[in-house]
Order: sequence, then C-alpha cells, then structure tokens
Amino acid sequence: MPESRKSRLTRPETLTALGIIVAASGFLFPTFELRAISALLPAAMLIGLIVLSVVLLLADQRKASAGEGAAPMTKSPKRVVGAFLLIVAYALATDFIGFYVSTVVAVPLVAWLFGYRSPVGLLIATVIVVGTIWAIFDFGMNQDFPTGRFWGR
Amino acid sequence: MYADLLHALPDVFALTNFAAVIIGVVAGIVVGAMPGLSATMAISVLVPFTFGLEPLVALGLMAGIYNGAMYGGAIPAVLLRIPGTPAAVATTFDGYPMAQKGEGGFALQVAVVSSAFGGIASAFALMLLAPPLSRVTLLFGPSEVFWVAVFGLASIIFLLGGNPVKGLISACFGVFVSVIGSDPIYGNDRFTFGQLEMLDGINIVILLVGLYALPPVIDLLETPLKTDGINSSKLGTESIWKALPRMNYWKTWLRGSFIGIWIGILPGAGGSMAAFMSYNEARRTSKHPETWGEGEPEGVAAAEVANNADTASALIPALTLGIPGTAVAAVMLGGLLVHGLQPGPMLFRDNPDIVFGFMWQFLFGAILLVLLGGSLATNSFARLLNLPRPLLGSVIIVLMLIGVYSIHGRMFDVYLMLGFGAIGWVMDRLKFPLPPVVLGLILGGFAEENLRLALRIGRGDPMILFQNTTSLILVALTIAVIVGPTLKKRYIDSRKSA
Repeated sequence: MPESRKSRLTRPETLTALGIIVAASGFLFPTFELRAISALLPAAMLIGLIVLSVVLLLADQRKASAGEGAAPMTKSPKRVVGAFLLIVAYALATDFIGFYVSTVVAVPLVAWLFGYRSPVGLLIATVIVVGTIWAIFDFGMNQDFPTGRFWGR
Repeated sequence: MYADLLHALPDVFALTNFAAVIIGVVAGIVVGAMPGLSATMAISVLVPFTFGLEPLVALGLMAGIYNGAMYGGAIPAVLLRIPGTPAAVATTFDGYPMAQKGEGGFALQVAVVSSAFGGIASAFALMLLAPPLSRVTLLFGPSEVFWVAVFGLASIIFLLGGNPVKGLISACFGVFVSVIGSDPIYGNDRFTFGQLEMLDGINIVILLVGLYALPPVIDLLETPLKTDGINSSKLGTESIWKALPRMNYWKTWLRGSFIGIWIGILPGAGGSMAAFMSYNEARRTSKHPETWGEGEPEGVAAAEVANNADTASALIPALTLGIPGTAVAAVMLGGLLVHGLQPGPMLFRDNPDIVFGFMWQFLFGAILLVLLGGSLATNSFARLLNLPRPLLGSVIIVLMLIGVYSIHGRMFDVYLMLGFGAIGWVMDRLKFPLPPVVLGLILGGFAEENLRLALRIGRGDPMILFQNTTSLILVALTIAVIVGPTLKKRYIDSRKSA
C-alpha cells in the first residue's frame, strides 16, 4: 500500500516510538535520585525502552523511505475517539455525580449512540443491568459505590 | 505427592465450588461465542469480582470460563465463519462448509465433544506433570529464580512470533510498571509522584482489565457486526447422544490432544498454533484429504481437540515456575496472585488443596462442556450471536468500572485502568504483544527481588549469577530461545534460496 500521509513522521509506529522515547526519558530523571541498587532495574528498563524505540523508529522510517505505506490504526477514528471519550465521561460522571445515576444514563446512551436503537430493548437492558448490580453488589455484598463528589459525598 | 490430589477432591464437590465451575463453563461459552470477546478478556473482567470469594470458587470460575470459551469460539466459527476466539480459526475451515450444508448442529456437537476430550487430556497432563516439576524447582536459589524469570520473559517475547523489538518493548514496559511503588528492600518511593495510591505498586488486576478488556470493548463499538442469521436458523441439531456414535475420531483426538498439550506447555505458543498443527497433521494422515475444507467433520474435531488441549497444560509452567504458556495463563496467574497464591513450588506445599482442587476443576469443567454445550444448549448459545454488540459493549464498560473500583474502593484505580486501556488499544492496533507486559509485571518484581538477594549473597559480585550448573543451564536456554528463531529463519531462507 503506498504512503498517503503528507509527513513520514505521522506514521503510527513512528509517533508511538517518539512517544515512548519522550515518556521514558521523562521517567529517567527520577531514577537519578534513587540509590544505585534501587535504580538498577527501572533505569535498565527505561534505557531499554529508549533504545528499542529508536530501533523501531528507524525501521519504520526505512519502510517509509522504501515507499511502504503504514496501515491506519482504525477505519473509523470518530467512533473510536467517541467510544474512548464516552468511557472517560462515564468514569468522571461516576466520580462526580454518582455511580447509579451515571450508569442509568450511560448504558442506554452508549448503546444508542453506537447503533442499537430499540427503546424497549434499551429500557429492559438498563433495568436488568442496574437492578442486577444493585441486587448483587449493593444489597448482597454491601459494596459501596461512588455517590458523587459533586454532592459533597 | 499424588495423595494430595485425591485429598483435594472432596473440596471440589462442595456445592459452591462445583457451582462455580458450572457457571464458569456457561459464561465461557457465552463469551467465546461472541466474536471479539475472549477468555483472556472474560477472566480479566472476572478477577476483581473474585476478591471476596473463596479461592476455589474463584479458580473454578476461571477454569470453567477458560474451558467454555475455547469451545464457545467454535459457534461463530461454524455458523458465520468468524472465529469467536483466535484459537477457533482452524475450526472455520470445515465447520462453516458443514453449516452451509445444513450440518451446523453436528459440526457444533463434534466441536463440543472434541473440546471436552482435549480438555480432559489436558487436565490429566496438568495433574501428572505439574507436581514433579514443582519439586525440581524447590532446589532453586535466588540466582536460579532470577534466571527462570529472565527465561520466562525471553520465551514469551521470542517464541510468540512477530516483531521481537515490539515484544521487548512490551516486556520492558511491564517490568517498569512492576517497579512502581515502594522499593521492596529500602522502602523508598519509586515513580509514585507523591500519589499515596501508588505506594503499594500497580495492582495487576488494573493492568489486566485495562489491557485486555478495554480494547475489545472499543472494537465492539467500532465495528458493527452484521449476521445473516441463515446458518444459525438451520442448525439441524439432533440429540448429542445420538450423534456420538457417528464420531469415530479417536486417532485424531489422541494426536490433537498430544499436540495441544505440548504446545500449551511451551511458553509463547498458544491454542491457534495447536489447532493449526493438529488440523494439518490430521489432514496429512487422512485417507480422503480431498474432502477437507469442504465440510469434513474430522477437521472440526482436529482443530477443537487441540485448542482445548492447551488450556490446562499452559498452566504447567505457570503453576510450577511462574511462567505462563499463553496469554490466558498469564491472566490466570494474576488471578492466583490476587488470592495470595504465589506460583512456584511453595504453592504445592502450602496450598495443596487449592492447587490440586484447581486441577480437578479443569477436569470437571471439560466434562461439563458436553453436558452444558450439548444439543439443546448449543441451539441456545448459537442465538447469542444475535445479541446487539453496542449493548454488550456498554454492559462490559460498567462491569470493568465496578470490578476495578471494588479492588480498593477508589476512582483513582479506574482512571489508571483507563490509561492502561488506551495504551493497550494502541499496542493492540500496532501489533505489540500484550502477554509480555503482564508477564513483565508478574516477573519483574520477582526477578528484581531475587537478583538483589543473589547480589547480597555474592557481596555485590555479579558472577554469583553464573556460579552453578542450574543457572548456566537456564542462561543457555535463554540464549537458545533468543537466538533459536533467528537461526531457524536463516536456515529456512537458505533452503528456499538453494
């Protein structure tokens, strides 16, 4: 597959390798404050990550210069980003407005947004999921769930 | 040694422990039947829920899920030509043509009986081989244990196939994550950045759920799967007991079991390799190889027996040495650690009832496959394919959050899991292997502790690591594992060019 990107540096593997190099270099600084024996393994791993990422980067750039295209990471980037954002939003909502309220909204919302449009099915699924969680975890196992920082609890 | 095996049997028949295996098998079949979901993902999601359970209940669930999922993968493989699990790819070769001819029900029955046969053989292998191997490891000191950890990591990186640079990056990442938290000897913080939640290190469950559960959920939401429903409505199923006499595949079952067990023991190999090897061997020795690929039931038997025969056997190196043979075994190792069960010889000495009970649970899980995956159930499980994927995805998201939150009752772990999930998704898409990350986390701390202990014994002299025969053998094995695949590739290339 020929390369369709404008810049060779935006190839997924190159970007990942650069990301690893930056992150590993950042983590390398705190190792200087550790005792030598304590820093041995983490420093070895971080240096290993940097060296290996350089190898990965060079290999990927060599492929790019040979005209070999890199497959995109996803065919539907909007759906993937949307899914990630919804999951993060659900986690934040659980933290700030509470587990049950967030779950009652999140289960049908995620399913609806991603293509399941039966209102009855969504209602039944939400009742079953939330009801089962309450019965097993809250009622049966006395498991506490977040009640929401927003409410000061 | 084997007396402990019999001693553990009554505990397995306790109502809750046995019920756990049954529930696990059913859940495993359901998960396996869903394309995109796997045993690894199911066990990752399950592990945090097992904190409050008795170890044998938790392990029974895991054993059941593993067995069930390996068969469950055959359902969409036969009906839709979409393998439910990677190990079910070879099942599609003859399973799908059978379904097109209206023999989908028989194909699934062959799959379930073959899966059970493979699972039973694998459980026996685990029972016979693990106890003596664990005794050998009792002789290991710190330097040998360090080299076992290095060997385990090297095996999973280099024998897994694919790009070794990516495998090494995965392993380095896993080992690095293992050192986050308090230093085990001096107690100083490492990479916690003042977060009290990280002082105890990163809980393996958080990593497992993030790496193995989040990417499949994104996949479920990313790609809508359209099923035609044609094959699942024309199963043509009869009673499994009537179908049994038509299954005369003893040679294939025995050969496939042997291949599956062997592949399972080898670190880095897995169910899909076992299934392919067994399928190829059975086809090569068949009197009618021309019928293979066009709906030959023996092809389904060959693939399914092998991919189930690697289940329990993958736990032989995992339970005795702490080196899992497959990704699922790595996750199960995490499950054992959650219950305070450290793999290795001490596991057999200190918790014989649990470890041997676990082996029995594998055996009964395999037997239960026939009963639970029989004719009526097979029809029901086939209908699972019609479950809406977005709804399934949203339910799994909720389960992931509950599971991770319930470990310590804090949202910090959930955010950490989401971070690992994002990393896992990128790794998955760029074909970075995930098992080395898990193994790196499991073995990293273990290796570091023993390396430092060995250096203390040797008063700082690193030559202590090379001063006995066992260590040298392990070093040689590690080098062989690293160099072997390259030499093999060169040999094949030179023969091709010759």
